[in-house]
Amino acid sequence: MWDWGRVKFFWGEVAQNFTRNVTMTLTSMGTVAVSIVVLGAFLFARESFDAVIKNVVGQVVVAAYLKDTVGLPRVGRLVTQLRADPRIDGVKYVSKAAALADLRRRLRGQVNLDIINTNPLPNAIIVHTRNAGDVPSVAASLRARPEIELVNYHSATYEKMVRMEAVLSAIGLGIIVLLLVATALIIHNTIRLTVFARQREITIMQLVGATRWTIRWPFVLEGTLSGVIGAGVGLAVLLTGYRLLEPKVAVNLPFLPLNLAAVPVTHLALELIVIGALVGTLASLASVSRVLAAA
Amino acid sequence: MIAFQDVSLVYPNGVHALSAVNLSVARGEFLFLVGSTGQGKSSLLKCVYREVRPTSGDVIVDGQQLSRLPHARVPALRRKVGVVFQDFKLLHQKTVWENVAYALQVTGASSRDVMRRVPRILELVGIAHKSKMFPQELSGGEQQRAAIARALVNNPLILLCDEPTGNLDPETSSEIVALLARINAKGTTVVVATHNQAVVDRMRRRVVRLMNGRIAHDEERGRYHVGLG
Repeated sequence: MWDWGRVKFFWGEVAQNFTRNVTMTLTSMGTVAVSIVVLGAFLFARESFDAVIKNVVGQVVVAAYLKDTVGLPRVGRLVTQLRADPRIDGVKYVSKAAALADLRRRLRGQVNLDIINTNPLPNAIIVHTRNAGDVPSVAASLRARPEIELVNYHSATYEKMVRMEAVLSAIGLGIIVLLLVATALIIHNTIRLTVFARQREITIMQLVGATRWTIRWPFVLEGTLSGVIGAGVGLAVLLTGYRLLEPKVAVNLPFLPLNLAAVPVTHLALELIVIGALVGTLASLASVSRVLAAA
Repeated sequence: MIAFQDVSLVYPNGVHALSAVNLSVARGEFLFLVGSTGQGKSSLLKCVYREVRPTSGDVIVDGQQLSRLPHARVPALRRKVGVVFQDFKLLHQKTVWENVAYALQVTGASSRDVMRRVPRILELVGIAHKSKMFPQELSGGEQQRAAIARALVNNPLILLCDEPTGNLDPETSSEIVALLARINAKGTTVVVATHNQAVVDRMRRRVVRLMNGRIAHDEERGRYHVGLG
């Protein structure tokens, strides 16, 4: 059964720790807030940049040019088979006549195509994959089919873009890890100061027979609360900045490869709060454990 | 209740605090540990509440060999052993009542237990009327009474006092030692490390003199200068 007196004592200790040294508490919360703003700004920028890259990579399609000998019924069967492939999102048949009409439309005013009497363009199938990463394998399986003359997906450009996306992701991950480590170290040191300031209290708790966990809990919860409140403040700053910048970036800085509207704000906000809580908890746990180990 | 078996203690800085100490304290006994500063009195007490571990030999408290006591069981040992210090070690941001209750609360006592035991122990040490005051509002003697109340509230089998009268005037010192004698009369084993000659001579209890970390003299109903010729 719950002993509310004990619960009250326990939370009273946390509250007392929290309010006793306001400067120290505010310092550790401020540290979390600043770190969350920096980390969050980076995550927001990374997400919006990722959205642009993913959009570009996602636009890559596979064009499969059919042999002239392949009749429409066979094309129909091929399209049906391709639509059943789980990797493929959409298949579109473009006849040679439609391709020429499209070419005429695109080159109107630049090249006079009226001088061509015959249509040199082949019938084609345009394939959209569900996942940009499946483009090479879908192209390979199309290439193996007897109905197909040639397959094209601008492989060099595609591979460059995919490689660039991978490199940017790795750099981004590295920066996130560095920012997290820096945040954790700063909070760890700040909380360590608060723990050292209460060394006397810890010694007394040990003398009267408190277990290590009884001693740790108020400090750990204090770290968690500092982390969550600090992250909340940081997030509020970040979201205000985002709300102000988001409509302006697209209009005033169109050359920036950022799509702020594509940022999953709620998801990132939750992530940052969890990061704040985790960093606060782990940093205080490490600090108090170090003091206890030395005692 | 307490047994030292050939205990030696060398600190990491090379200081030999205790050398081959053999000592036995019976249940309910009252013992004075005397000797000038640096002779090993505090180190001997620290071995009892496992603040330090002997370099060799063993300490047995209430039948428990402390050399075999796992770290996780040290809090349970400390609930059997109350400790009082010269500088009181009270928490200044807590009232007397809260300081005493704290010792119960951190050991997991129910709030009902806290409400029942704290007033009783404050009554015993004679500061029930000061329970709402903060340590800095009390005299040295009253602070020491609060510290004794905190050490006793968990009903320890042993009460260790390290220079409990070191910061007190002679009259208050006598009152504190009289209080310790009353606590001892209720069955608690009391060990007092002290420099206070007047108190030791008046009480005429067992006196153990430490010199250079060794037991130089041990006498029932002794005086402060026992063993000094």
